[in-house]
Amino acid sequence: METFLQVVTNGLMLGGLFAIVSVGLTLIFGIVKVINFAHGEYLMIGMYLTFLLATGLDVHPYLTVAAVAPLLFVLGALTQRFLIQPLMHARDEHVQIFATVGLSTALMNLALLVFGADIASTPASGLRTSLHIGPVRILAGQAVIFCVSIALVVGLHYYLQRTQTGRAIRAVAQNRDAAQLMGINVNWIYVLTFGIGAACVGLAASLVAPLYPTQPTSGTYFVLIAFVVVVLGGLGSIGGAFVGAMIIGLIDSLSGFYIGSDLREVAVFGVFLLILILKPSGLFGRRSLAHVSP
Amino acid sequence: MSFKKFLTATAAATALLAAGNAAAEVKFGALYPFSGDLALLGEESYRGLEIAVQEINANGGVQGEEVVLERGDAVDNNQAIGEARRLISRESVAGIFGTYASSRSIAASQVAELSGIPYFELGGVADEITGRGLEWLWRTNPTAEDMGKLIVEMVVEAIAPGIDRDPGDLRIGIIHEDSSYGTSVAGHQERYGEEAGLNIVTVQAYPANTVDMSSLVLDLRDREVDVVFQTSYQNDSVLFLQQANEADFRPAAIIGGGGGYSLQPTADAVGHDLIDGVLNADFTQYLVNTESTPGLEAFVDAYEEAYGEFPRSGHSLNNYVGAKAILQALDEADGFEPETIKEALAGIDTPFGETAAGYGVKFGENNQNERASMMGLQWQDGKLVTVYPEEAAYAPMRLGE
Repeated sequence: METFLQVVTNGLMLGGLFAIVSVGLTLIFGIVKVINFAHGEYLMIGMYLTFLLATGLDVHPYLTVAAVAPLLFVLGALTQRFLIQPLMHARDEHVQIFATVGLSTALMNLALLVFGADIASTPASGLRTSLHIGPVRILAGQAVIFCVSIALVVGLHYYLQRTQTGRAIRAVAQNRDAAQLMGINVNWIYVLTFGIGAACVGLAASLVAPLYPTQPTSGTYFVLIAFVVVVLGGLGSIGGAFVGAMIIGLIDSLSGFYIGSDLREVAVFGVFLLILILKPSGLFGRRSLAHVSP
Repeated sequence: MSFKKFLTATAAATALLAAGNAAAEVKFGALYPFSGDLALLGEESYRGLEIAVQEINANGGVQGEEVVLERGDAVDNNQAIGEARRLISRESVAGIFGTYASSRSIAASQVAELSGIPYFELGGVADEITGRGLEWLWRTNPTAEDMGKLIVEMVVEAIAPGIDRDPGDLRIGIIHEDSSYGTSVAGHQERYGEEAGLNIVTVQAYPANTVDMSSLVLDLRDREVDVVFQTSYQNDSVLFLQQANEADFRPAAIIGGGGGYSLQPTADAVGHDLIDGVLNADFTQYLVNTESTPGLEAFVDAYEEAYGEFPRSGHSLNNYVGAKAILQALDEADGFEPETIKEALAGIDTPFGETAAGYGVKFGENNQNERASMMGLQWQDGKLVTVYPEEAAYAPMRLGE
């Protein structure tokens, strides 16, 4: 029983990790509707920035978020403005996908050139301390990630629902042409949304880096999980992404323990496929938005 | 017509040039990944070969001829093939040394085999390199199989007696990353372990870029595993050691299989106190009893003089030992025809403990050096020192803390 509780707790903590990495992608994938394969590399870059700032300035890794999130915002906005936007009206929108695949590979190899293949480890600064909560133990850093992911989801939800810009973002997501007719600067909204999405990854990176070693391929594992989480939750649904992340985290942890670590991906993606077959729009997606927006 | 004439003239000129050189020097290919993500250890491996050649040349060369190395950059498998072709047909090398990365070696040696040019593998560990039964390939370094064998031997001969347990009573858990490296080493561990009567309670694979190994750790803890074998890269070595510590899983021994366990950044990332006592198997390293590795100090001196730094890994040493054994054997021969080389290599018979890497050299089945072996290592006070076999140990193995 004790082990079961520990496995479930590990699953929830893993879910928190997946959630915080995926929230940014919900905005980019769910709203700008760009399949951004470089999402994982944004995380990797954010983790390296955290590493460099935390070791270079000798500050707590969490403090680096003040620089990392804005830098990632700029990176995301630049990507949208100078890479995706020129391709928005390409004859075939799949061109964008290949552009982000190219960006992903380029960034990964750039990191390889700059940092080498060795791991970089951000100082844990006490975040790897175990907290005992009843019969289970969790790491301080994991607990922080879990709480911040909830706060981020609630915050973004509020932003999208209640603010003028948030409404504009949702309007663009629902129907790009109609939004433009209503006087919304669509290109600007895209740049902004892409930037916010990337900034969320920057926040995630500062929290994740002290717990996990950073290397040029760090993003590859997360990017696939992030797409799964976003699709599972329902495109553009931020709360859905959170629930999706928890489900994936729990299945990952439970199957890893009860079925075997070699089969955990089979279990995760098996359940993912099953849910999609039963509910093609994802858990919280109302309906496919693809036919509304060109 | 005139083009044909031009070709003939060029060929004749090349032949003349080649003949002119032949009296003074003999050319060998050096095929390593010199760029790309494997460049660091590719270059490190090449340095070992270069030092062997310098040493041989300083002593009068091979059969009185100066050995010249022509570099080929095996940045990926296709280029390894292209460079092997260039070395053989344009540079007319007498043989090719290589390759550090197993996949490059497997690709390039195929080209040499078809041309009937000897290929000397000094560092690739994959079973398939010699497993294909090639006629013109020789390998001097120990393999993935030697690694599995040594790890099992270390449990039976040193760890079990060291903690007062019968080897058969120890519960062994094998975990490995799921690419060909981890899978093949784990397969050998399983096979040799069963032969030695070890109780292997679980064998589990996982992807090397995983971000969570906590379920795996809990599973091993629940199965009351005493000894963990992990074959892994850096990221997964760090994760496993950290998460095992955090879940309070403390097996009597953790034994790595090279890869991430051999690298200093892994120890720095995990923390020197946490990795202390963790065991490992790999090529001969520098913190070893030099009485069992004659020539190692001279190698390190030559290396430092040539490159102005301490060797960055054991790869250079192993390449040095292999290259030196082969070049010395060729010195005894007469000419550099492939058949002559083959005959000369068949005559090599260096016993254990007489090379700078500690192992001997004698080519057996499939031209694999049957006297090559790995060494048992342990992280002690932030350094990776040799602890097994006893005659090569730099410090005694620390157990049961």
